[in-house]
Amino acid sequence: MIELKSMRAGYGSEEILHDLSFTFESGKNYCILGPNGCGKTTLLRAMAGLIPHKGEVLIDGQRVESMKRRKIASKIAVMSQINTLYFPYTIYDTVMLGRYQHINRFSAGASEEDRRVVDRCLEMTGLVGLQNRMVDELSGGQLQRVFLAQTLAQEPDTILLDEPTNHLDIRHQIDLIEYLKGWTADGRHSVIGVMHDINLALRLTDETVFLKDGRLAGAGRFQRVATKPFLNSIFDMDISAYMLDALEKWKTISDTSSSEKP
Amino acid sequence: MKTGLRFVLALLIGLFCILIGVMIGSAGISLVDVITILKVNIFGGALPERIIKNTANIIWSIRLPRVLCAFLTGAMLSVSGAVMQSVLRNPLASSYTLGVSSGASLAAAVVTLSGFALPVVPFLSLPTAGFIGGILTVCASIGLAMRFDRNMQNVTIILTGMVLGLFVNAFLTITTAFSGDHLRMLVFWQMGSFEGLKWRNCAILLPILTVGLLLLQLFTREMDLMTFGDEQALSAGVDVKRTKVVLLGISTLLTGTAISFCGIIGFVDLIVPHITRRLFGSKHRIALPMNALIGGSFMIVCDLIARTILAPRTLPIGAITAICGAPFFAWIYFRRRGGRRHD
Repeated sequence: MIELKSMRAGYGSEEILHDLSFTFESGKNYCILGPNGCGKTTLLRAMAGLIPHKGEVLIDGQRVESMKRRKIASKIAVMSQINTLYFPYTIYDTVMLGRYQHINRFSAGASEEDRRVVDRCLEMTGLVGLQNRMVDELSGGQLQRVFLAQTLAQEPDTILLDEPTNHLDIRHQIDLIEYLKGWTADGRHSVIGVMHDINLALRLTDETVFLKDGRLAGAGRFQRVATKPFLNSIFDMDISAYMLDALEKWKTISDTSSSEKP
Repeated sequence: MKTGLRFVLALLIGLFCILIGVMIGSAGISLVDVITILKVNIFGGALPERIIKNTANIIWSIRLPRVLCAFLTGAMLSVSGAVMQSVLRNPLASSYTLGVSSGASLAAAVVTLSGFALPVVPFLSLPTAGFIGGILTVCASIGLAMRFDRNMQNVTIILTGMVLGLFVNAFLTITTAFSGDHLRMLVFWQMGSFEGLKWRNCAILLPILTVGLLLLQLFTREMDLMTFGDEQALSAGVDVKRTKVVLLGISTLLTGTAISFCGIIGFVDLIVPHITRRLFGSKHRIALPMNALIGGSFMIVCDLIARTILAPRTLPIGAITAICGAPFFAWIYFRRRGGRRHD
């Protein structure tokens, strides 16, 4: 469970999130929606203790700034956007790095248990057979899956996702969401994700948190919160009309390929 | 090729380099004689009559310590360069990025010009000054970077190091301009040389390299994670800020000690880590000891070339490391790049 109490955060002297209070319950998935610059990424980073904040951020009742990084890592993992890779590692070694907090500094290396977890994560993300490839030779989509596997190998309670589908084509986007749904199906894990694609976000979860200008604009099940006027005020456009318009186009798509047309 | 096999190969090449380095020089000695002399000196016994006492002395008291010092220095600079590159997440970073060379050179210049000498151990005056100057500059760089940016981002650290390095360098230029008769000595110190290094120098370098390397081996997974970025390392559970300070500290200690005896030798610390990564992968658990082996061997070969190619004149070692290293580096680094994919 992650609780925010009158939380403020930003970069340097610029405050981006103002007085935010909300409770992310464990075992539930959430998506954070809102226009560019509303503070979605800042919220994720503050929740993981990656940037300083005012007010309170509590992880399972403990203040995040009082926790050791290892302790935070056992509860929360952040799957970040892809950085430039300067130094090549194999996929297997990269995923194994997710086990960092489980392996003692003075131990000889990975245990049976660590290897078993890594193998399972490679399997979940469809990377079996590729584990000896170097990460700097992969496509963006494969790399995203490697980082997902690394994040899963960390075995946190909650995964925070920041635009996880940036580099993925549509099939891989949906695959990723399906993996995450599978991972959270046991009710012990949860995902909190920042996503631009609302349709994709709703595939993962119905629980939505809307941000606008660094403030909480609304939260709860999408169907209940997201009325037409509400969405219009958040995004400054008629979202539902846009979606329906798109739907019309899809409805006219033919079932047969053009060469078969009379 | 299996990593174990490569390791043995690198070890053999290292030993071979040491033997060759001891064997070749102004007084020609056969490999068999070299080994005999080493054996007699280590395990005792009498020298065979065909070996002149003087030759044995050259081998044991001059060449071997010089070669070992070259090996240890090369190892220290390479290991420290590898750590800097990973921690700062920059393939162009080296152990000199934080201004260690400027600080060391300035302090060495001041000591040379003022004629200051340590009591009891005057031969340590210049090295001590170089060491302290180098370490102080790095501490100032890191301290300033911490003040500018509480998260200690790499860009801040690198820029602070560079700016401070240039700032200190300006004083070095001024000092050099007024150095008069000492100019030659100053310039030579800045070019680097293993001339005149003895067993007592080895006795200082070896324990520091050993302790430094052992400490670094405790942080190999932190370094692995940090090459993926600070946030990824944080998220995986690494206390990034503290780890950065510890690792930069150890690596500065290695560089500071290395250059304090032999002066500024560039390039090794930049290219050996890249060559090692190509040959042994990026995992620091393997790469760091390998850096020591490869960097050490490379330095012996460079020193060998520097003192033999225009004998009896000795070329500046820094020039040789660059002349030999650049083409070799280009070959190692670019030969595998043909198949890189981007999308």
